[in-house]
Amino acid sequence: MSLRFQRLLFILLTLVIILSAVLLILYNTRENVSYFYTPSEIDKSDIIINKIIRIGGFVENNSFNKISSSSFKFKITDEKASILVTFKGILPDLFREGQGAVIEGAFVDKNIFNATNVFAKHDENYMPASIKEDLKDTGYWNKKYK
Amino acid sequence: MSSLVGFLSLVFAIGINFYLFLSRYIFKFQKQKFNLFIRFSSLLTLLSFFSLMYAYVVSDFSNYNVFQNSHSNKPLIYKISGTWGNHEGSMLLWLCILSIFSFFFSFTKNIEDNFQKLTLIIQAFLHILFGLFIVFTSNPFLVNSILVNEGLGLNPILQDPGLAVHPPILYAGYVGYSIVFSIAIAGLFQNTDDEWLYVAKKWSLISWTFLTGGIALGSYWAYYELGWGGWWFWDPVENISLMPWIAGLALVHSLMMVRGEQAIKKWIVFLSILCFSLSVFGTFLVRSGILTSVHSFAADASRGIFILLIFFIVTGFGFLVFLLKEPKKSNALNLLFINKVSALVINNILMIIATLTILLGTIYPIIIEVLYNKRISVGGPYFNSTVIPIMIPGFLLMSIAPILSWQTNKINNSKKYVLAFIILSVLVLIQSYFLDFNTWGFVGLLLGFWIILASIIAIFSSYKIKINIKFFKIINPHVAHIGVGIAIIGITCSSVFQNELDFNLNEGDKFNVNGKTVLFEKIETTNEINFQSLRGKFLFDIEKNQSKEIEAGKNYYPVSKMITSEAGILHQWNKDIYFILGDQKNNEWFVKVLINPFVSFIWLGVIIMIYSGLIAVTRR
Repeated sequence: MSLRFQRLLFILLTLVIILSAVLLILYNTRENVSYFYTPSEIDKSDIIINKIIRIGGFVENNSFNKISSSSFKFKITDEKASILVTFKGILPDLFREGQGAVIEGAFVDKNIFNATNVFAKHDENYMPASIKEDLKDTGYWNKKYK
Repeated sequence: MSSLVGFLSLVFAIGINFYLFLSRYIFKFQKQKFNLFIRFSSLLTLLSFFSLMYAYVVSDFSNYNVFQNSHSNKPLIYKISGTWGNHEGSMLLWLCILSIFSFFFSFTKNIEDNFQKLTLIIQAFLHILFGLFIVFTSNPFLVNSILVNEGLGLNPILQDPGLAVHPPILYAGYVGYSIVFSIAIAGLFQNTDDEWLYVAKKWSLISWTFLTGGIALGSYWAYYELGWGGWWFWDPVENISLMPWIAGLALVHSLMMVRGEQAIKKWIVFLSILCFSLSVFGTFLVRSGILTSVHSFAADASRGIFILLIFFIVTGFGFLVFLLKEPKKSNALNLLFINKVSALVINNILMIIATLTILLGTIYPIIIEVLYNKRISVGGPYFNSTVIPIMIPGFLLMSIAPILSWQTNKINNSKKYVLAFIILSVLVLIQSYFLDFNTWGFVGLLLGFWIILASIIAIFSSYKIKINIKFFKIINPHVAHIGVGIAIIGITCSSVFQNELDFNLNEGDKFNVNGKTVLFEKIETTNEINFQSLRGKFLFDIEKNQSKEIEAGKNYYPVSKMITSEAGILHQWNKDIYFILGDQKNNEWFVKVLINPFVSFIWLGVIIMIYSGLIAVTRR
């Protein structure tokens, strides 16, 4: 093989690698991306059953229901709309009513969302509601706290 | 008081750096005096950091930062680590490490005075940028306007020995690239001989080794603390650390291979700038709160904008110099179809594509939101099915790259390698036929074993085996690759062949895990210094006399009213048995058991990589 031919081969190989990488990325940004909604953004008539999406909001107060030690029902709300969610498994430690959560899963019918993953937020400035109340009562409340 | 000392020394340190920065144009210094100033400013920055740490240790709640992030009944280690367990403190740590690197660099011998001075001036410039950032947007020395005698407490999830040391090590990696950046820029400006390449090699190896350690600690922490049974989640925060790691890997390899070729030298400068830019960009993404991450850090728009500004200054300046100045005195690229140089080039192309893929996946949600006002999330499936296929040819190439020749296409003992590869493929195929066949599992195992085998063949057929330090230095590249092979086996097994079992159990129940009987002994609650613990106690393999006890449960932290999970892990050399205690109803507990085969191989592989990084630093 001449030096010229070798270089040509090499450049072709490089192009093939780059091209296949681009194709991989294009294919995967179509297939492996899930959309994120808040409950009020979900249009009941538009729901696609079994399509994986994410929903973010708060766990509605007094909506949490423990069916067994590993299956739960609760509602995710953004104060305009709420969605009934079922989940099997272990809920994250920070999960509780009134706190923010993101759920991943799909609608099993028009009204029930089956979550496969539940994420609750970790935040270094996380302020438990009770401490917030204490601070408010004593006048130590500062707007910087969430 | 300590806050005042800390703040003043920080400002003073920035002032000195400003003076040094001006010294290039206005005041001319002797090398000796210049270095003394640099060291003095480093010590001042260190003093500033330690006074913050002191405030944490003595629980000085008149400091607003301490008040927000500490509590007097925390164990001492978490008071210390609380210093960097928050945004302000961690930025001060960043600055502190930056000046430690300058400090040590000022002692480098055998390099040209002007080159050293210029490198340190660029470091001083970076010190000023980040110092001003701290003073104006994230000052950890603010005075608490209210009188309190108790703090709000550190996030319990950060109260863990692994996470206490993770940030300093990770930052040493990130910030270490600052010195590589400064060296590369100074090298371009001075246009001296190739001396800067050797200096850059040493420092980039140091940074890369720290970064490896930092990432590994972080993912080990995620493995046992988050209680999700995995160790890598393609979370934005993780991706951000992975990008400079891969780019840094490309840099280290290019630096080892360079023989004065013009093209590679340019490429090295490009990579040096890229590595540090990615580090700063990562800081911007994490600190601005633009990314929604499960780790979610404190968000503040003004900080984001300030860091973005720093990012543009650093990157813009870096790439501008890169375009205007050219390295001189160079050889042409000796590119053949398959020799060391072409292997290096392909390896670099693959690594850069992988970095870009991760970058794209990480910022894609932001782009889509800006363009279409739709929110999306890019999760594990995207990264797994793009990054892994891109890396596979690189892994294949890596198995033989160290023995390729510089001048010709010939591979020594090529028959031996082909034969070994065929035998290995058949063996792995048979093995995976008896287990349940899985394409990814097959590919991963074959790659992992092949890298190890090829490296061992190379060691035995190319060198005389001797047991001395020199020998270990010579075979070091092969050892590093064996580490990668071991890690690949661990990663493949633990992700592809993971097994999940769910149980609903009452106390006293017996159940079956992996053919062994496990007893769910009891639930126990105890009071510790700053938390209450709830533990499910399990006896593993009760039929044998040496049954193992496993404790899985939760901790409740009354100060912050938070709960953290504590997984119970039984480590065996070939698998981890991972117990997670779930919720209960009517005294029936939900228990999840994960069997993660060969997880220990991942950590072993990483330790080997770190070891060989350290060996490579000592080698010229």
